[in-house]
Amino acid sequence: MTMTDQSARTRIRSAVRWFDTRHRGPETWAYALNRITGLVLVAYLYIHLAVLSLLVRGPASYDTFVDVVRSPVFLSFDLVLIAGWLIHALNGLRLTVIGLGFGVRAQRMMLVGATVTGSVVLVVMGLLLFGG
Amino acid sequence: MTINATIEIFRCDPGGANGRFETYEVDVHDGATVLDAIEAVWAHHDRSLTFRHACHHASCGSCSVRINGRETLPCIADLGEALRARTPVRVEPLRNLPLAGDLVVDVDGAFERMLASEMTITRTAEDELPLDADGNGGVATRPTRVSDGLLRFNRFENCVECGICISACPTMATDQRFRGPAMLAAIARARAESTEPEVREHLLDLVDGEHGVWRCHSSWECTQRCPQGVMPAESIMQLRRDLVRRRSRRVPR
Repeated sequence: MTMTDQSARTRIRSAVRWFDTRHRGPETWAYALNRITGLVLVAYLYIHLAVLSLLVRGPASYDTFVDVVRSPVFLSFDLVLIAGWLIHALNGLRLTVIGLGFGVRAQRMMLVGATVTGSVVLVVMGLLLFGG
Repeated sequence: MTINATIEIFRCDPGGANGRFETYEVDVHDGATVLDAIEAVWAHHDRSLTFRHACHHASCGSCSVRINGRETLPCIADLGEALRARTPVRVEPLRNLPLAGDLVVDVDGAFERMLASEMTITRTAEDELPLDADGNGGVATRPTRVSDGLLRFNRFENCVECGICISACPTMATDQRFRGPAMLAAIARARAESTEPEVREHLLDLVDGEHGVWRCHSSWECTQRCPQGVMPAESIMQLRRDLVRRRSRRVPR
């Protein structure tokens, strides 16, 4: 069977395999997370642009919105967004380096390094968001 | 001493229809492999069970299946260990390859694509390489000269064509035209061996493009699941590095 033989439905069903991390190694977790965070970040970009467009209606509508997003619930969303950004950015750097053939044998170590760095930055960001 | 094992095997009609799991209980000797248990099912329960096997010592690569979700050669998979991980032990066919029946997949297509692209995975078949479009030698002037670095690249010669890397690769699930880990590792191996610049360049041309090395998204499952330590992911990255170097040489300075 070739790709051209596959129906759109089959291809979508096959794409679910990208996110099937059962019995797989940490690199596949990174593989799946990179896709999920990529989609989330693209969705956020559009939401962000829509929110910014409130400025067109004047300062009052924008300020009302900003008051809402300062609530702890929205700040939690911000933390999730930061986590997604960290995963995508740090793993993206790892993929760029090994994808060009450099440090290939250290790729697992890079993954560990990215996880540790991301976790530390996330904790700091959490403290900055909720601590002050 | 015998082990009483419960084993859950994927069964289907020829071509893959009516897929289901059927559970069997078998008595096998202590220290048995999962393949021993599959053979016991065939011998004592159901002679219609379709599965492939030959050498029983990880040399032929024909018996590859998924055991408890992981691609493995059942001929070297300890049954006791598999039972400790999951009871009943679940045995399924490989993924990303057309299902022929029960535990058998059709690997022909995958390896025919290699031939079509003027590349074979085994050195013994190199003499059968087709001529190029102009009827010239092309890659038929294939990489046969062994370089001094043979030992260093020896692992790429270990491929037993089991199809495990094809099944384990999540990218193969959505791009059937992706050359895949086994083939790309074979090309990297051939390139490492060759001392002829035209051959090396041609092999690099074969792997460039959207269904070549750039389609790999680094899940590293091929390297992790390969029973022979071929390390296809590493060879894919080496090919990318070679391509980047070649492109950077072409940038006008």
